[in-house]
Amino acid sequence: MTFRSLMAVTLLAGALAMPVAAQDRPDMVIAVDNLWPTMDPVIGISTTGARVHTNIFDTLVRRNRWEDPDGTELVPWLAESWQQLSPNVWEFTLREGVPFHDGHIMDAADVAFSLSAERLWGDEPLAPRGTRYTRGFVRVEATGPLTVEIETSFPDPNLPFRMVTPIGFVLPQHYYEEVGTEAFGQMPMGTGPYRMTAFDPSVAVDAVAFDDYWAGEPPAATLRFEIVPEFSTRFAGLVAGEYDVVVSVPADQVDALEGTEGVTVMEKGIENYPMFAFNMLETEALPDNPLTDVNLRRAIVAGVDREAIAAAIWGEATFVPTPFNFPEYGDYYDPDRERAVPFDPEQAAEYLAASDYDGEELIWHITRGFYPNYEIAAEFMVEQWAEIGINVRIELKDNFSLAYERPFHFLNMSMSSEFSGDPYRPLWMDWGPESSRFGASHRTWDMTEDFVRLGEVFEQAQEFEDRYQAYLDLVAEWERVTPGMYMWRNVVSYAINENLQWDPGNSAVTIFDHLYMTGYDE
Amino acid sequence: MTGYILSRVLRAALTMLVTVTLVFLFIRLSGDPAAALVPPDAPQEVIDQYARAMGLDQPLWQQYLGYVGGLLQGNFGFSIHTGIAVEETFLGRLPFTLHLGITALALAIFIGIPIGALAAIRRGTALDRFVMGFSVFAFAMPNFLFGLVMILVAALAFSAFLGGENANVIWPALTLGLAAMGSFARFTRSSVLETINAPYMRAAEARGVPFGMRLLRHAAPNAAIPLVTLIGLSLGALVAGSVVTEQVFAWPGVGQLLVRSVATRDLAQVQFLVLVVAFTMVMANLIVDMLYLVIDPRIRAK
Repeated sequence: MTFRSLMAVTLLAGALAMPVAAQDRPDMVIAVDNLWPTMDPVIGISTTGARVHTNIFDTLVRRNRWEDPDGTELVPWLAESWQQLSPNVWEFTLREGVPFHDGHIMDAADVAFSLSAERLWGDEPLAPRGTRYTRGFVRVEATGPLTVEIETSFPDPNLPFRMVTPIGFVLPQHYYEEVGTEAFGQMPMGTGPYRMTAFDPSVAVDAVAFDDYWAGEPPAATLRFEIVPEFSTRFAGLVAGEYDVVVSVPADQVDALEGTEGVTVMEKGIENYPMFAFNMLETEALPDNPLTDVNLRRAIVAGVDREAIAAAIWGEATFVPTPFNFPEYGDYYDPDRERAVPFDPEQAAEYLAASDYDGEELIWHITRGFYPNYEIAAEFMVEQWAEIGINVRIELKDNFSLAYERPFHFLNMSMSSEFSGDPYRPLWMDWGPESSRFGASHRTWDMTEDFVRLGEVFEQAQEFEDRYQAYLDLVAEWERVTPGMYMWRNVVSYAINENLQWDPGNSAVTIFDHLYMTGYDE
Repeated sequence: MTGYILSRVLRAALTMLVTVTLVFLFIRLSGDPAAALVPPDAPQEVIDQYARAMGLDQPLWQQYLGYVGGLLQGNFGFSIHTGIAVEETFLGRLPFTLHLGITALALAIFIGIPIGALAAIRRGTALDRFVMGFSVFAFAMPNFLFGLVMILVAALAFSAFLGGENANVIWPALTLGLAAMGSFARFTRSSVLETINAPYMRAAEARGVPFGMRLLRHAAPNAAIPLVTLIGLSLGALVAGSVVTEQVFAWPGVGQLLVRSVATRDLAQVQFLVLVVAFTMVMANLIVDMLYLVIDPRIRAK
């Protein structure tokens, strides 16, 4: 037998040995508007990165969005179980025999490295953007081949929730240390359903099914996340059958797309709430700031009909939240709780009369095009305020660092609600002593003494009842002060090939494992 | 003549220096590059750590000297995101953009100039009016709109996709070259009209030189002078247009890289790309200046 025929026989035998399903699996192309320049799941924390991460990596703990779109239930993933050894110490027990893409078996050392001070929370860590999830970490230690302990400086009853965030992704220590931080971000490796084969941050990510994936066979043969900046081009590619999934359908095009043959459009509310903060401070740039007066702030909030604006812009796709009352918080969510300052033009006039405001111009800094539909809503609002005598002017800025330059009266932002399984993140992390609202150069408020006191009670409460009451008290104080106004729950939209059975849940994260992608009819 | 060449080269060098300085300053004035690496609500310490890593905590003049010093040694810097040398990333994309740009220029020249000349020769006929109508359309049509219409019509009517890196280059090239095609046609027409009515053409006709020969040997060289200028200038429009066209067609060239790099404030990458574009423009102008020497004996004589 010649070498050539030997090769042919070998190849044929290999092909015959392949499972039938593997041959049927589709090659999926996801047309995205952008990709984050690094695929390190912490350095690359972003919507554009997150669309890829979970296909390459696994987290220790996962949220079940394939059955419940809001994912309020935690699911053991790379960690099989966890327990609180003492108020400040949690132990995670890992799944056995989970391979990384190079065949190396994951163990406690990889997890301890992924969560280490060196990588996430020490001085000058390798991935500094993880610090917001590692608050209070004092020790991460592999205590056995498959057990890891995490100790915090304060008791955290919700620590396992942190392991669903980007810090919960497990990285292979041997590979990371071999190639270094930057190179890892360009060619990452994890235990996830797909193995990355190529990455060019301004073109595409390519990945192939990892058939040794521990959790089940990946449903696609290959995944390609391709940058197609222009929406019309993404749409054309979908209609022509070139792309299977298209992200970021502009809100005003959803109706038009729904009528297109072969295309399914999905709108999903996600855990992010666009808003603005009132600048309540008197600074050098703004010596006589009328917004130091709570009556004016309340007049502004009471003077705008957010429900009508949100409905006009978004239709049924979203809602206006009562502050910090978000459906993703399970037991903390109360659909009947109402806002302290609802829309009420008469009440707004009374607040306004009680204030010293004399019609001076209030400047609203908005980052151009960052939050979908934000500018349109802002224009509606400015008109509604003008009707009751409040004079607001929008200033569009090209990026956040320009938006942060004073003077401004309103500052656009959004607050993510994810992270802790209860309203800790949006309420205390985003407004408390460690928040940029309070501490950054573009800070907008000074916390009241009551807010600090109630926040500490909330933070330290261990039992649900105590924590829930502390949460309500803290929200009441926030609403009393009114340091900002939430606009709506953010919406992401997808257009997909109608033959694809895939639903991401209420999330901007696109996962193509067997739980989220259940079929593709050719 | 040496003076002419020297002054043009000196002008080119000066333009490059001014470009380097402006690019350096503008990128730093248009927002904090370190802040672009983190989400809007990131704590200041994180932004500061990135700023230190990027050398942005040093005084501006020190950063500038370091940058220019690096350039002179051929060290263009590394992408802050990928850690890859900026010229390496650029060279990876260059073939796409060259392919697109050269095809677009070729389409513009080989369609624009012949139809312009034809319109001049058949002046006042329906053909002339058609060519002029087309050239106005081609010049006025914004290329992003033309590209989008083409992509959408192809997808909705023919289920064909004209975008992406596997698409045929002819579609983005047609989009990119359309405006240049229109202006080449118009200029060729007026330039040829001017020369075919010139006294030396009548003299040639009187000497019995055949029509084709008169056109090629006498009219063409004279009509070529404004066209060479125009082609040189349109290189700039092609480079600028490629940014838009590549975005619309998802064509993975230098234009897309530039847009991405600006959006992510990838300082070294943006600086390098703008320098390359500036260098291309400066060289194109220099070559045009030198070509005058070849085709116009009057400049040679000066």
